[in-house]
Amino acid sequence: MGDAHRRVGDFVRLFSDAFYSQEGSSLSPLLSVSSSSTSPFLLSVADGLAAFQDWGRLLKQVDGQLEDILSHLLRAVQSFRAGRFMDAYIAFEKSANAFLQEFRNWESAWALQPLYTIAYEIRVLAEKADWELGSLGKNPEKLKGAGSYLMKVFGALASKGPKRVGALHVTCQLFKIYFKLGTVHLCRSIIRSIETARIFDFEEFPLRDKVTYMYYTGRLEVYNENFLAAEQKLMYALSHCNFRREANIRMILKYLIPVKLSLGILPTEFLIEKYNLVEYTRVVQALKRGDIRLLRGALLEHENRFLKSGVYLVLEKLELQVYQRLMKKIYMLQRLKDPSKAHQVKMEVVVKALKWLEMDVDIDEVECIMAILIYKNLMKGYFAHKSKVVVLSKQDPFPKLNGKPVGA
Amino acid sequence: MELESNSLEKEQVKGAGQGQPSPYASATPGHQPWTLTPGSAGVEWNSYRTDNGSVENGIPSISSYHDDQQTKNTAAFQDGRNVVSYASSVGANTSHDYSAYITNQNSTDPYPYQYQSQYYGYQHSSNDSSHQQVGVVQNTGAPYQPLSSFQNASSYVGPTSYSSTYYNPGDYQTTAGYQPAAAGYQSSDYNNQTNLWNDGNYVPHQYSNYSLPDANAGQCSSTATVDAAHYQQQYGQWAGYYSQTASDVMCAPGTEHVALTSVSAESSVPDFNPGYPVVNSQPPPPGTTSWGRDTTSSGFPSLQGKDVAGYSQNSNWQNGPLVFAKQHGSQAPLHFQQTLGSTPPSYANMEEQQKMAHAQGSHVRFPSSNQVPQNFRPALNPLPTLEALRASKIQIPTNPRIATNLALSIPKMDKESSARDAASTPAYINVSSSKPSSKLSSHDSAESLTKQDFFPPSIRAYVERSFARCRDDAQRLSNQNLLKEIITKASTDGTLFTLDWDTEPLFPLPTTSFDARNKGSPQTSVSLSPLHKLRRSPSRRTKSRWEPVVEEKVVDKVAHLTHVSVDNTSFNRFRTEKVSDVARYESKGNGWNNTKFVSSQQTSSNRNVQRPAKKPRFSDSDAVQNGSVSSDSDKDQDLTKYHSSAISLANSPEERKKREHRSKRFEKGQERLAEQKNYQPKALRQGGGRNRRSNIPLILKNEDGPKRAVEDIDWDSFTVKGTCQEIEKRYLRLTSAPDPSTVRPEDVLEKALAMVQSTSKNYLYKCDQLKSIRQDLTVQRIRNELTVKVYETHARFALEAGDMPEYNQCQSQLKTLYAEGIKGCNFEFSAYNLLCVILHSSNNRELLSSMGRLSPEAKRDETVKHALQVRSAVTSGNYVLFFRLYKKAPNLSTCIMDLHVEKMRYEAVKCMSKSYRPTVPVAFVAQVLGFSSEDADGKDAGGVEDCAEWLRAHGATITVDGNGEMLLDSKVTSSGLYMPEPEDAVAHGDSNLAVDDFLARAAP
Repeated sequence: MGDAHRRVGDFVRLFSDAFYSQEGSSLSPLLSVSSSSTSPFLLSVADGLAAFQDWGRLLKQVDGQLEDILSHLLRAVQSFRAGRFMDAYIAFEKSANAFLQEFRNWESAWALQPLYTIAYEIRVLAEKADWELGSLGKNPEKLKGAGSYLMKVFGALASKGPKRVGALHVTCQLFKIYFKLGTVHLCRSIIRSIETARIFDFEEFPLRDKVTYMYYTGRLEVYNENFLAAEQKLMYALSHCNFRREANIRMILKYLIPVKLSLGILPTEFLIEKYNLVEYTRVVQALKRGDIRLLRGALLEHENRFLKSGVYLVLEKLELQVYQRLMKKIYMLQRLKDPSKAHQVKMEVVVKALKWLEMDVDIDEVECIMAILIYKNLMKGYFAHKSKVVVLSKQDPFPKLNGKPVGA
Repeated sequence: MELESNSLEKEQVKGAGQGQPSPYASATPGHQPWTLTPGSAGVEWNSYRTDNGSVENGIPSISSYHDDQQTKNTAAFQDGRNVVSYASSVGANTSHDYSAYITNQNSTDPYPYQYQSQYYGYQHSSNDSSHQQVGVVQNTGAPYQPLSSFQNASSYVGPTSYSSTYYNPGDYQTTAGYQPAAAGYQSSDYNNQTNLWNDGNYVPHQYSNYSLPDANAGQCSSTATVDAAHYQQQYGQWAGYYSQTASDVMCAPGTEHVALTSVSAESSVPDFNPGYPVVNSQPPPPGTTSWGRDTTSSGFPSLQGKDVAGYSQNSNWQNGPLVFAKQHGSQAPLHFQQTLGSTPPSYANMEEQQKMAHAQGSHVRFPSSNQVPQNFRPALNPLPTLEALRASKIQIPTNPRIATNLALSIPKMDKESSARDAASTPAYINVSSSKPSSKLSSHDSAESLTKQDFFPPSIRAYVERSFARCRDDAQRLSNQNLLKEIITKASTDGTLFTLDWDTEPLFPLPTTSFDARNKGSPQTSVSLSPLHKLRRSPSRRTKSRWEPVVEEKVVDKVAHLTHVSVDNTSFNRFRTEKVSDVARYESKGNGWNNTKFVSSQQTSSNRNVQRPAKKPRFSDSDAVQNGSVSSDSDKDQDLTKYHSSAISLANSPEERKKREHRSKRFEKGQERLAEQKNYQPKALRQGGGRNRRSNIPLILKNEDGPKRAVEDIDWDSFTVKGTCQEIEKRYLRLTSAPDPSTVRPEDVLEKALAMVQSTSKNYLYKCDQLKSIRQDLTVQRIRNELTVKVYETHARFALEAGDMPEYNQCQSQLKTLYAEGIKGCNFEFSAYNLLCVILHSSNNRELLSSMGRLSPEAKRDETVKHALQVRSAVTSGNYVLFFRLYKKAPNLSTCIMDLHVEKMRYEAVKCMSKSYRPTVPVAFVAQVLGFSSEDADGKDAGGVEDCAEWLRAHGATITVDGNGEMLLDSKVTSSGLYMPEPEDAVAHGDSNLAVDDFLARAAP
C-alpha cells in the first residue's frame, strides 16, 4: 500500500514537475503508455495503480487541467497494464485532449516532444484497441478516432508560431493512420495545406519528418501511377534517410524499385539482396531476359504482397517492357543470322517464341501486342497486316526509357 | 518573479492553514531550492499544492505560482465554492507569461467558470471540426496567445456548452441591460443576448464578446491605471444609479420594478421617451408583475447594499456571488496595474459588463430596446466608422452618470461621436423600442415550445430544427404556427410520442419574402417607427415596410415582458450589419454551421486582438476592423435590390392581419410557458439550434443522462413491425416515420419478391416494386438472405436495363451484406464489382483493395476469373483480349462491359492506326473489335458494315481496294480520329434518364 502510494505519488510529482517547468524531454516518457510494458518505472506505476485503488485522491492536489490530463493518463496506464486496450485508448484520448487544450495555450514549442509522444501513443493504442474491438466482433473505429484527434493536433500546430515545425510530424502520423485505414484520399487536404500554406516552409521541418513525409507522398504517387513524381519523392526519402536504418531503407526501396523499373531502370542484384527484397528478383530477371512467363509467375507468387503494398498494377505494367525485351532479342538473333533482313520480324517467330514460353497466345493477340508496343513507343517501326510482319526502324528500333515513363 | 511568488506563496501557505503535513515534503528533497525559509520544512511546490488542495484553496495557490500578482489576490478566492470551479478552469497554468490569461479567467468570474465546467461536461460531444478550427485560429494571434486561449477555454467549445449555460433566459439576458450604460460594450451585450437563442450561433458571439472589448482596448488603454477604489466606486455608483432611476420613475426604489424595468433605463434618457410611452401604456400582465418584482427585489437591494447575495438569484451563478465583490475589490485593480496591452482593458470590460449584468438583474426590456438601436444604426450610416462612433454616442447621452464613471474610456468617444450625429441618434432608439419585442415574442414562443418539459426531447429537437431554418421573424411566426398545428395534431391523434420526430421531415416554410428584408435590414430598418420617419429627411423613403409590424409588436411586447428571452433575428440582423464576416455566415442560410462560423469569426477576432493595443483608438476601432475584413457598405448596396419586393409584401393588409392574429394567438401560451421555463433545470434547455445529427445524443442526454453509451440503447425496441398483407406496393419515399400498417412483414415481402421475379411487366414496374420491398426491409431492419436476394435481383434487373445508379446502390448494399457473412451470389457480384471498378471508376487504389479482398475460392470462380482477365486486358490495353472476353462474358458481365466497349474500341483504333501501315482491312478491325457477331473465322458482312460506319463516325478514312475490300487508311486516320459527341446525350448528362430511350429499353 505504502509503496504503491509512493510510486503513484512519484509519478504525479514527476509529471507535474515536468509539466510546470516545461521540460518536454522529461515529460515525454511519462506519457508513453504503450511502453509501460518495457519501462520499469511505468510498469511499477501501473502496478501501483492496481494496488492502490484510491489513487484518485492523490490527484486532488493538482489543479484543474493537469488533473484532467493526469487522471485519464493514469487510467490509461492502468487499463493498458490490465490488457484492456479499448479502455486504455478511451482514457488516453481524454488525457490527450486535455493536454492539447493546454498545449494551445503555450506560446513556446516546448511541449512538442510530449505531443509527438502523444501522437504516437494514441495511434498505437488505437490500433490495439481496434484489435480488441475486432476480436469482440465490434466495429473497430478507434483508429479513425485517433485520426480525428491528430487532425485537431494538426490544427493546433498549423499556425505561425514556433509550433508549426511540429505539423509535419503529426502529418506523418496521420499518413500512417490513413494508409492503415485505407482512407488515403484523406491525405489530400493535409498535403495541400502543407504544400501550399504560406506558414510552412518545407525546409524548415525536421529532416526525419521530411523523409517520412516524402515516403508517404511518394507512395501516394505510386497509387496514382505518377511515376516521375513518385521517383522524385522516394529518392528524396532514400537519399536523406539515415543510412543505418536498414528497415526504413527497405521500406522506401519496396516502392522505389517498382517505380524505377517502370522507368526502365533496373536495380542491382546486390541491392535487392542486401535489403532482402527478393520478391523483385524474378521480376528483374524477367525484364532482363524478356521472359514473360517469369514475370507472370513472379506476380502470381507474390500477388497478395504486391496487392497489399499497392505495387501490383505497377509491376503488371512491366509486361510491355518484357515484350520489348523479347522483340529486341529476336531482332538481335536475326541480325546475327542475316543483318539485311533483321529489321523484319515475322509474327510466326514471335508466336513461336511465346509458345516456348508456354504462353497461350494466337497471332491476333501477338499482333495486338506489337501494335501496342509501337503505339507506346517501345518499338519503332510499323506493322504490315497483310504480310504479318513487323518492320522495325533501322535506327534505334528499341528506344530505351531512360527514366521516362512508358508512353511518354 | 518566481522568488517573489514563492514568498508570496508561502505566506499563502501560512494563511491557508498549512498545518497539514505534506506527503511529499520528505520524498522530494530535490525541490528544496524553492523553499525560502528552512523553517517551513521544505514546503515546495507540490507539497504546497497539496496543502492547498486539502484546504480547498488550491486555485489561488496555483495562480500564485504562476503569477505573482495573483497571489496577492488569493484572499479574494478563499471562497470555497469558487475554488471548485476555478480549479478546473485555471487548472494547469504553468507559464508566468500568461498572467493575463489567468487574470482573465479570474476576472470573468461566473461566466468562464461555467463555460468551462460545461465544457468539461460536453467535451466529448463537441464536434471535432470546431476543435480544429479553433486550434488554427488560436495560433494565428500568437502575440495575444493568452487572450485567445482564454477565448478558447471558455468559448470555443461553445456550441454544446453554452446552450445549457445560456438557456437560463433571464439571467444572461440581463447583461444587455448594461448596454445603455456602457457604450463601448454594446456589441458584446448583444452577443450575450443572442446567445440565449442559438447555441449554434453562439460561438461567434462569444468571440466577438471577448474580442470587441479588446478592440476597445485602444480607447480603454488609459483604464489600465484604474485602481481598486475606482472600481468600487464605480460599482457603487452603478447601484446608486439604478436605484435612482428606479425611484425617479416609481416611488419604491428597487422593489416594484415591473414597469420600472423598462422605464428605469429609458427615463434617464429623455430622448428615448417618445418610443416608450407605448410600452408603458401596456398594462403589464399579471405574470409580468410578479416576475419582475421577484427579480428586482432581490437584485436591486443587493446592489445597493453591495450585498452580493443578491446575485444568488441566478441559479447559474452559484459561485459567482461571493467572489464577485471581492474580485472587484482586489483583483481588478491589480490586474490593471500589472498588465499591458489589450488584455487588461478587455478584462476590465468584461468585468464591468458582468457587473452590469448582475446589477441589471431582471431588466429584460432594455436589452432589447437598446439592442435595436445598434441594429439600425448602420442604416443611417453605411460607414462602419461612423457606426461605431454612434454606438458610443447613443449610449453616452443615455447614461450621463455612467459616462462619468467610465470616464476613462467613454468620454473620448463621446466627444468624437457627439459632434457627428448627435441629432439622429434618438430617433433610432425610438425605433428600436418597438421593433425587437415582436421578434422576441415569436422567438420566445419558439423556445417555449421547445423547452417544454412536457414534450419528449425529440420533439424539442424537431422544433428547434424547424426554427433553425427560419431566417426572419415572419418565417418564424408562420413556422411557429405550423409547428403548433403539427404538434397539436400529433397529440390529438396520439402520435406525439410514437412518431419519430428525429426523422420527421420539416414542413415547408412559407415563402421567404422576408429573407430579403432581413438581408436588407440596414436600409429598411431605418424607417422603423413613424416617429422616426418624421425626423427623417424627406429624401428618404417615407413608407416603411416595418410600419405594420410595429403596431402588432407593441402588442407582443406584453408577452415579451414576461419572458426573459432573446431574439435570434435581431441578433442575426445585428450580425449582418455589424460584422461583415458574420454576414457571410448568414448568407449561408440557417445551417448553424459552427465550424465555418467560428473560423470566420475568429479571423476577425484575431484582428481585433492584434491591432488595437498599439495606438489608442476610439470606439470605431472594431468597426473599422470589421469593415476591413469585408466591406459592409458593399453588401448593403447589393441588398437594396431586394427591397421593393419585400416592401409590397410586408405592407399588404392581409399580411398584416395575419401576423397580428398569429402573434396574439401565442400570447397566453407564452406567458405560461415562460414561467415554466424559468424553473426548468438547465439541462433541459440544452441544444437550441442543433442540427439534426445531434438529435440522438440529445435524446440520450435528456432521457438517460449523459453517461449512457450509444451501444447500450435498445434500438431494437424502436424497430417497426409491419402488418400490411398486400403483396404489391408502390414505392414512395418516406416523408415520415413508417406506419406499421403499410409495412409488409417478411413473409409477405418474400411473396412480393417472387411476384416481381416472375412478372412480365417492364423494368420501371420492377424497379418500383423492388424499391418498396427494399424500403420495407430497411425500416424493419431485416438483414438476411432475403435482403440479399432482393438486392441481387434488383441489381440484375438494373444491369439489364443499364440503370447504373440503381445498380450501384444495390451493389454497395450487397457489399456490406456480404461482409456481414450473409450468403448470396458473392462471386458473381464481386466480379461485377471488379468490372465496375475497372471500367468505370478507374481508381487504382480501389481496384487494388477489391482485388486484395478476393478470397482464393473467389479467384477460382469463373466469373471472377473472367473479370480479372478483363481487368488485365484493360490495363494492358489488349483490345483483342478484351473483345474476346466480351464475347464470352458470363452472366450479366456483358452488360457492364457494354458500357466500356466504345472507349475500348476508340483506343484500339487509335493504336492500330498508329502502328499499322499502310492499311488495315476493315473486316479485320470488325472482327478484332467485336463488331461481327460470329466467330473469328465466320466473317459477317453486317459486322463489317457496322464497323465501317463506326469508323467513319469517329473520323477514320476508309478506302476501297481493287477487290472491293474496305481498308482503313491508317496514316490518314491516325491524325483524324475523334470521339463523336454521343448522339443520345441529354442535358443532364445521363442518357439513362432520357425518358423515351429509357422507356423503350425498359419495355418488356
